[in-house]
Amino acid sequence: MTLFEAIILTIITASTPLLIAAIGELVVERSGVLNLGVEGMMVIGAAAGIAAAIATGSSTLGVLVAVLAGMALSLVFAALVLGLAANQVAAGLALAILGLGLSGVIGAPFVGVQRAGIGKIEVPLLSDIPFIGSVLFHQDPFVYASIALVVAVWWFLTKSRAGLVLRAVGENHAAAHALGYPVRRIRLLAILFGGGCAGLAGAYMSLVLTPFWSSGMTAGRGWIALAIVVFASWLPFRAMVGAYLFGALTILQLHAQSAGVPLPSQFLAALPYLITILVLVLIMRARRGGAAGPASLGVPFVPDR
Amino acid sequence: MNITRRHLMAGSAGLAGAALAGQQAEAQSRLNVGVVLIGPVGDFGWSHMHDQGRRRMAEVLGDRVNATTVESVAPPDFDRVVTQLVRTGHRLIFTTSFSYFVPTQRLAPQHPGVFFENATGPTTLPNMAIYNARFYEGRYIQGVIAARKSRSKTIGYVATFPVPEVISAINTVMRGAWSVDPSMKVRVVWVNAWSNPAREADAARALIDQGCDVLCSHTDGPAPLQLAEQRGIFGFGQASDMTRFAPRAHLTSSVNNWGDYYADRAKAVLDGTWRATDTWGGLGSGMFRMAPFTNMTPEEVSEATRIRDAIAAGTLHPFEGPITRQDGTVVIPAGRRLTDDEIRAQNYFYQGIDVAMP
Repeated sequence: MTLFEAIILTIITASTPLLIAAIGELVVERSGVLNLGVEGMMVIGAAAGIAAAIATGSSTLGVLVAVLAGMALSLVFAALVLGLAANQVAAGLALAILGLGLSGVIGAPFVGVQRAGIGKIEVPLLSDIPFIGSVLFHQDPFVYASIALVVAVWWFLTKSRAGLVLRAVGENHAAAHALGYPVRRIRLLAILFGGGCAGLAGAYMSLVLTPFWSSGMTAGRGWIALAIVVFASWLPFRAMVGAYLFGALTILQLHAQSAGVPLPSQFLAALPYLITILVLVLIMRARRGGAAGPASLGVPFVPDR
Repeated sequence: MNITRRHLMAGSAGLAGAALAGQQAEAQSRLNVGVVLIGPVGDFGWSHMHDQGRRRMAEVLGDRVNATTVESVAPPDFDRVVTQLVRTGHRLIFTTSFSYFVPTQRLAPQHPGVFFENATGPTTLPNMAIYNARFYEGRYIQGVIAARKSRSKTIGYVATFPVPEVISAINTVMRGAWSVDPSMKVRVVWVNAWSNPAREADAARALIDQGCDVLCSHTDGPAPLQLAEQRGIFGFGQASDMTRFAPRAHLTSSVNNWGDYYADRAKAVLDGTWRATDTWGGLGSGMFRMAPFTNMTPEEVSEATRIRDAIAAGTLHPFEGPITRQDGTVVIPAGRRLTDDEIRAQNYFYQGIDVAMP
């Protein structure tokens, strides 16, 4: 395996949790809800995933429990912002803090427990192709799932009627409500989808990337996922570009250091965030003001009766 | 007793009342000791080992002490937690992080009847002692072993932040390695975090992909060591014995051991002989020890053991001159060795370390 192949492989594994969490949050935001609690749902997924995997001995069950845990936490958020029309920013931040604390409690008995990670799947024949085979067709199941997820979300948002309704709810919930669409039910489903994705991303951290539990192990990746959604200007394939770009910057930064390239690591570590700000400025300029994202994003909805 | 901060806050009012009402006589003979931890007891590293120290103290002194651990105390909460410990009758308080040094220094004069002990701080006060371990001694041994084990002659170092403690550790690893083979090289990756398992693992991957075949790490967790296991190379554990995380890759770990020191200090308070000391213990005084050498040939084990014992006995010193900086300035000539203050203040790499200072 050449160094180039090795770098590409590492970039893919580092980007996958970002991509999974970002694509979930993208759907939530397209429905007009801003859930800042991605970090909390992700870390709870990581904790619940490894706990279930160790307790039952099954990685599949671990993944399932992680997704459910992410959904359960997002349900708390949904109850606050949909049921009580609470401030979404405040509720999301609370969710992030709650998730970090709760995950510590769930994970506490599993500190220092060792377990084998989920292995890679080789696609027969295709994985024998030089370079392309080892990079594209010799990956763990999460990588394939993340790409399938992007395609599915893209198809759902742009090609399906349900996706059109979801976008309508995100752009103008009053109009969607007047047309008779169940705004809150649609948003609830979107929030649950986002929670499930964040949980899945967490499971990838604790079951594949570093197969053990460590308190706060997502280390800010949930926040990066939020930045990716903005970077992607709420489009699924751009989110994929964003996730791989952010992942690539992190990994290349580590390789540059190891190779002795004299670039300040602190600057490289800050680069993804600088790029996000830059993209946001460019979007705003291109649109000459107005909302860059879904028009109803972050606005509480109370149906009038 | 092991309680979290919130429990301490909630229960403190009741505790204070009870202590005043009925147990004053008992409190006289029993010493209440507080241990404030920066991380969770379950971090399997730094804070975990301080809690082990608290257990050891309780074992040695039995009924004569009553210890309270407060875990995951962020520096902004520190004053509140310590004041509460003082109010509930704790007369000896260990503040176990460098981040607590300044706040401890501020609080100590306000509570002259309480004895404070800060881990890794630089200066003392009349009622505040400091203590630390000579971790560099373990790093030197790691360097010797790494040079024996490496085929590519390149050590990978997963570093945290470019502070003197870490820089000095990298220097020491290379001193050890060069004592075996002067052609040894090191590659360094700074992850800018004490704990970020996935990034630590990515850093380890980058180092291995670029040809390193023995990994040293300065982060709290076992992620780099686990990756060494996965890739079939070697690595070292940090803070606690990490053999079980990498049964085939683990060579040895530097294991912190605060327990005997804690017991001595608590005993000194009980006997009325406590002084504001500056303790920097090492292998010799048992402040830390090396975990059993694993995955090494008998010859390698005996060499590592010999060096470990020589350092413990004081016959081998890792910072013997001549020492030259990367840029060619001579730090000390042959025949001299670095003083403790000079060791603590290293902010330069040695000549021969081909790594840019970030």
